[in-house]
Amino acid sequence: MLLRLAPSLRGELPRPRVTRLLSLKDPTTGALLDRGLVTWFPGPSSYTGEDSAELSLHGGSLVPALVLDACVRAGARMARPGEFTQRAYLNGKVDLVQAEGVADLVEAESEAARRAALAQTEGGLSRRVSELREGIVELEALLAYHVDFPEEDDPPVPLERIVREAGGVAERLEILQATAPGGELLRDGALTVLAGRPNSGKSSLFNALLGEARAIVTAEPGTTRDAIEARVSLGGYPFRLVDTAGIRPHEGEVERLGIEVARRYVARASLLLLCLPCDRAWGEEEATFLSAVPVGVPVVLLRTMRDRIPRGAAKAPGPPGGIGTHAVIDVSVEDGTGLREIRDTLPGLVYRGLVELGGDAPVLTRRRQRVAVTRALEEVLAFRNALSAGVAAEVAAAHLRSAETALEELVGVISGDEVMDRVFADFCIGK
Amino acid sequence: MTRSYDVIVVGGGHAGTEAAAASARLGARTLLITPDLSRVGQMSCNPAIGGVAKGVVVREVDALGGVMGRATDASRIHFRMLNRSKGPAVWSPRAQCDRGLYPRGVRRILDGIEKLDLFQEMITGVWMEGERLGGVVTRGGQRFSAGAVVVTAGTFLRGRIHVGGEAGVPAGRAGEAPSIELAEALEARGLEVARFKTGTPPRVDGRTVDFSRLEVQAGDVNDYRFSAYVDEPIPEQRVCWITWTGEGLRKVVQENLGRSALYGGAISGRGPRYCPSIEDKIVKFPNAPRHQVFLEPEGLETTELYVNGLSTSLPGDVQEAFIHTVPGLEEARITKLGYAIEYDYFPPHQLRHTLEVRSVPGLFFAGQINGTTGYEEAAGQGLVAGANAALKVQGLEGFVLGRDQAYIGVLVDDLVTKGVDEPYRLFTSRAEFRLLLRQDNAPERLGPLAERRGLLLPEQAAALKDRRRRWVEVREWFRSEVLVPETANKVLREAESAEVNRPVRAEELLRRPRVRGESLARAGGAPFAGNDELVAAVELEVKYEGYVRREEDRARRLRDQAGFLLPDDLPYADFVTLSREARDKLVRLRPGNLAQAGRIPGVSPADLQNLVLEVRRARRGVAVDATDEPSQGSPDIL
Ligand SMILES: Cc1cc2nc3c(=O)[nH]c(=O)nc-3n(C[C@H](O)[C@H](O)[C@H](O)COP(=O)(O)OP(=O)(O)OC[C@H]3O[C@@H](n4cnc5c(N)ncnc54)[C@H](O)[C@@H]3O)c2cc1C
Ligand SMILES: Nc1nc2c(ncn2[C@@H]2O[C@H](COP(=O)(O)OP(=O)(O)OP(=O)(O)O)[C@@H](O)[C@H]2O)c(=O)[nH]1
Ligand SMILES: [Mg+2]
Repeated sequence: MLLRLAPSLRGELPRPRVTRLLSLKDPTTGALLDRGLVTWFPGPSSYTGEDSAELSLHGGSLVPALVLDACVRAGARMARPGEFTQRAYLNGKVDLVQAEGVADLVEAESEAARRAALAQTEGGLSRRVSELREGIVELEALLAYHVDFPEEDDPPVPLERIVREAGGVAERLEILQATAPGGELLRDGALTVLAGRPNSGKSSLFNALLGEARAIVTAEPGTTRDAIEARVSLGGYPFRLVDTAGIRPHEGEVERLGIEVARRYVARASLLLLCLPCDRAWGEEEATFLSAVPVGVPVVLLRTMRDRIPRGAAKAPGPPGGIGTHAVIDVSVEDGTGLREIRDTLPGLVYRGLVELGGDAPVLTRRRQRVAVTRALEEVLAFRNALSAGVAAEVAAAHLRSAETALEELVGVISGDEVMDRVFADFCIGK
Repeated sequence: MTRSYDVIVVGGGHAGTEAAAASARLGARTLLITPDLSRVGQMSCNPAIGGVAKGVVVREVDALGGVMGRATDASRIHFRMLNRSKGPAVWSPRAQCDRGLYPRGVRRILDGIEKLDLFQEMITGVWMEGERLGGVVTRGGQRFSAGAVVVTAGTFLRGRIHVGGEAGVPAGRAGEAPSIELAEALEARGLEVARFKTGTPPRVDGRTVDFSRLEVQAGDVNDYRFSAYVDEPIPEQRVCWITWTGEGLRKVVQENLGRSALYGGAISGRGPRYCPSIEDKIVKFPNAPRHQVFLEPEGLETTELYVNGLSTSLPGDVQEAFIHTVPGLEEARITKLGYAIEYDYFPPHQLRHTLEVRSVPGLFFAGQINGTTGYEEAAGQGLVAGANAALKVQGLEGFVLGRDQAYIGVLVDDLVTKGVDEPYRLFTSRAEFRLLLRQDNAPERLGPLAERRGLLLPEQAAALKDRRRRWVEVREWFRSEVLVPETANKVLREAESAEVNRPVRAEELLRRPRVRGESLARAGGAPFAGNDELVAAVELEVKYEGYVRREEDRARRLRDQAGFLLPDDLPYADFVTLSREARDKLVRLRPGNLAQAGRIPGVSPADLQNLVLEVRRARRGVAVDATDEPSQGSPDIL
């Protein structure tokens, strides 16, 4: 293909991985299409593991289209989404988790999502899972030694040691598992609901956080009818911000509407932002709303329109003592008060595990990954508990095999006879 | 004139004798040919049978009607149940045999089987009848024709013995000629061949050993039998001794490493890591202060002792020198030198699960020739190959044991689907169903199957039925017997388990950890008290019911996968949704079903899922594009 497109090569492929400036010509007419930079990557040391070439062309829409068209006429076809990575996976260049990381990386919309995806692509998560799996293989090796070699030079391995090491593996699995709630939110963003009585400044805040006027803002109460959703990166972490219709307190409607809002969003929400203007006192609306919030979902009380009350003046009363919110922030979209604080505070509330671990730690970003790690953890714990309860070690070992399988399925590694390799490396075996 | 048989077995070792016996039990006219009929069933190395995992295989061979269990019972002079301090799931019988009595027992059993002929000769070639094997040729040029041939030539194929760093001498075993022409003839049929090595320690004259300096290792006093069907009389029992190597031996070995065949470069084949030579131990674990040495009697009527732990390929003078550094052996005289042996084997991925060579219909391999090591592994394969050779001639369905049915199934499946890169030995960790694959339940697991397939002689079948009756009796006793607190608490105190204050059923107590079935049976005055084996079998099934159930569930899933057949002509190369490595391996190994495919190193769980989809689509005649979405939910079979 490359040779037909660049006749000046005279049938000889360029030196691997060295960029060359070449004339690209139409294979049928011989017309010059462009002069571009060409790099040749022979397999298996290419991204996909197969022979491939990269062309850097002059931009615009016409030149690349012409060259693509020429390629297709010369027998190529367009790649489908993700095909390059799929081929890399099939050719053993990346494992399953790394391939998922590539997909995430392409779609990353926030700094944190990008970092996690990149770490995953570079094999960070795969490596961590492999280490954990090795920890389990190590335990199996201790048991294999215990069962298969009853009469060796070295004395038997004390059971307490096995119990202790199982505890260590469980602990490390727990740490990884703890990244899952946040990690899974990384890809789609944390659903964050703006709620409050009509005219409390929800839409204004929505626009301010987005940096563009997406929602309509008027002085009329009840401007927003249907919820609007937008993706936004706050403090480097992805959020799905939802602006909702205000809660209206008349004719028993309060409850109905409050519950409707709750039903539609709150059930799935990761975070709630309750708006209450600084010059309005906490009332029935807010209390009703709060009672619809499920336990465990953090709530931030935003005292809006801070600029409307004089500096130093007291705000209208907030919630009575005993009603819990995770943070209270004074904001104003007029002078920008509190916007920074919102950006700084929200990530910690939703992505708690991740923010604490720092940027480079491996993170579970998919349900599939969480399920596998959780199963491995449960099995290792079951193993340890069984052993402590006096179940014979060779019987309890069934749990370890399940744990190992769970992690193997996660990264798609293939088990060999590693248990025995370990035993022979660690103990002097045999008569 | 050409003599003609249904099945011919080449080689009278542990694989060959089981193969010949199984074939003849199935009613096939069978001939066993071996160069020296006085050495049928000879033990090349340590005269010990059984051990962890291997002991279960002996029980399985016996349950399937085989020879090894009975011959061991009739010749054992020292017995121990290894792992006795652990749970009954891993109890492992091991016997030290009389080197002379064992082969005599084998011979006696073979002589008792109708349809089995023996013939003394060396086989030098095979001949073809078109595409399939026609028969074998002896050194003397005599031809035998057969419907199927089982080759079990052990360590004899181009065997070469090394004592010290010289080039070595051609031999199949110490003092026996190697088999060179047969190796060449098989290779000429286009089979891939490779080389392994193994070794054996020196023997010493017991009259020159100072036993006062040795620790006695007594055997278990009981009448445990490997054979569930026939009670052979057990010979008089002997003890073994234990001593340790020390600094002196390390020095001698280290100074002479260059003269070892293994370390001097004379040997290239790979040896088993679990039977290391003393050179290996010193080199790989230089900081280990000492290594155990077991002195084991070679027989009742000989004073010779097997020096277990000092396998070596060092020259005679060095063997002499290091032996004398060992406490108790200062004055010991060596009767036979240790040596290493290198030999050809045929990588077993060339076989089907029936142990038939894929490319030569009618030719079967069993034993060391397949890259395994050990008498028990050889016997298990011999039985499978012999049975399949006979069944093939009879036009019947092959005999293949699953991984959930027997260690023999694990062994054969590992060989065929994974191949070997060092001499293969069984370990419990190779089996994913070791709670099911126990020594105590081998007759229950395999007896009925053996009977159905015609592998049991009438008297074996009758014994199986009788055993079944006793098993039910034990099970029923635990289920129905109620123990008063006074009786129960005696047992519970001993097991450090909480006491009871009301009558309880024996079964309920048996479920508790640490409470032993035999203690309950004795305290409750059960009629079968003392029959440890059946009690242990019942105990395990009651105590670990949850775990056993779990393994059974997994086994069922595996059987479902095994039911998903992969025809021999699948176009794996076109299955572009599979990784390249998986495609290459599948093309090479052509597994018979999905379960086997899943065990091939290089075939990942994701490959397996896509394989199911590919096969289903291939059946419907729809091509799959590499760019199709990889499967999301797993196909229901997985
Ligand atoms: C020196 C040595 C050390 C060993 N060490 C160990 C050890 O440490 N641990 C362990 O587990 N196992 C060990 N073994 C292995 C064990 O002896 C074998 O695994 C076992 O005997 C294999 O059984 P088999 O039936 O395959 O072969 P064998 O028992 O070797 O029997 C082969 C038979 O085939 C016959 N034969 C060969 N060629 C022909 C022919 N052309 N025509 C007719 N008959 C033929 C031979 O005469 C013999 O009867 C050792 C073996 C040797 C020789
Ligand atoms: N001075 C000042 N005015 C604000 C601020 N935020 C909102 N407002 C004004 O308050 C009014 C209501 O704002 P919206 O953002 O539409 O309020 P809402 O909660 O979305 O109202 P509904 O959609 O009707 O429920 C508008 O006139 C805004 O301009 C603020 O921080 N300072
Ligand atoms: Mg609004």
